[in-house]
Amino acid sequence: MVDFKDLDDASLVRLVESGNENALGEIYDRYGRLVYSLAFNVLGDEARAEETTQDVFLRVWRKADTYQPNQGKVVAWLASIARHRAIDILRAQKKRPEGNLSAWAVEDILGLKDPDDVEEKAETGQRQERVRRALAALPESQRQALAYAYFQGYSHSQIATALDEPLGTVKTRIRLAMHKLRELLSEELASDELE
Amino acid sequence: MEEQHVFDLLPGYALGILEGEEGVQVASHLAGCELCRQELQRHESIVAELPLGMTLRDPPPGLRTRILRDARQERRRSHPAENWAARLQRLSPAWGLAGLALVLILAVSNLFLWQRLRQAEGASQTALQTLSLKGTDFTPEGRGLLVISRDGESGVLVVDDLPVLDKTQQYQLWLMFNGQRSSGGVFSVTERGYGWLWIRTPLPLIQYRSFGVTIEPAGGSQGPTGEKVLGGEF
Repeated sequence: MVDFKDLDDASLVRLVESGNENALGEIYDRYGRLVYSLAFNVLGDEARAEETTQDVFLRVWRKADTYQPNQGKVVAWLASIARHRAIDILRAQKKRPEGNLSAWAVEDILGLKDPDDVEEKAETGQRQERVRRALAALPESQRQALAYAYFQGYSHSQIATALDEPLGTVKTRIRLAMHKLRELLSEELASDELE
Repeated sequence: MEEQHVFDLLPGYALGILEGEEGVQVASHLAGCELCRQELQRHESIVAELPLGMTLRDPPPGLRTRILRDARQERRRSHPAENWAARLQRLSPAWGLAGLALVLILAVSNLFLWQRLRQAEGASQTALQTLSLKGTDFTPEGRGLLVISRDGESGVLVVDDLPVLDKTQQYQLWLMFNGQRSSGGVFSVTERGYGWLWIRTPLPLIQYRSFGVTIEPAGGSQGPTGEKVLGGEF
């Protein structure tokens, strides 16, 4: 009998593709919190975040065959579906809620490590810590602009309006933020690819 | 005149936040610039990591149960031992019988392909949306047709007169939505250069606005790396 906890993410997706509900359940156990949290940070509403999470996993159930391992990790695929779905909902609303732009709050990142907050059982535990520290190393202005882009799907000009900053300044901050994150995370990403 | 690289726009492109002309400019440049494509992949790797930096919240209790229940119900609605007739019946609402007939013809042969497709495009009962893909300078004789189901969810790509590739290579379909590029799948062509692909996408197919086909290593790539052979947009 297969223990799904021993399977890697890509194998689970292949099992979902063949109609295995237990595999879908295992994927939810590994990444349900992340998907829900991402939806909540975009939408700022628990009920909508719950609906979005349900949509995401049902899309995984229906479209598991669209996942291609050579295009990236399963967690990235899930997060992309969740982000796009949540931002679509956000853009359809006439009045957009603020969402949680402090999802990467420095105090959360540099605070005492909460053992419950680290996904020990999933592949992402140590990576979470590295990404959080990299984000904490960004100046607040860059992290804020990046949060508007990532969690709200704001264009450069929309971010400039929200922050009351020149367009060029916003573009520069996002560009510098991404380059800094690449610099800080590139070693880890390269070693992940070799695994 | 050598085209300028678009390095400064790639972070915004990877985040999916470029507006209007900038997004089109980058997409167009990427089709012909491997250096920028590699740079974009590095930025996309970072975007993929961003959600890991979030503080996590617990979903409501019972959500897992509801998701698995809905999945189970969906599976029960499908026939456990599907034959072609049952599968066609299940697809019928999305495609319509005339549309399904078209898809079957496309799957079997390109015989009278283009004549049949012109008939189908003019037939109001199919109500299918189609997009012609044109060959590039690399494959000027190549052509393709994208056929989208009535419900907009899925579709078929049919190609003709494309070069037969070495067994280490395949053609890969790319789709663009809101500055983001996704793969629609890989396929090969027959000796006559004819091929088809049942397109699977994370989002409903109707949401994508531009499409391209490139030559990639067998099994596909994370992003376009080879020559573009077909392209088109709504």
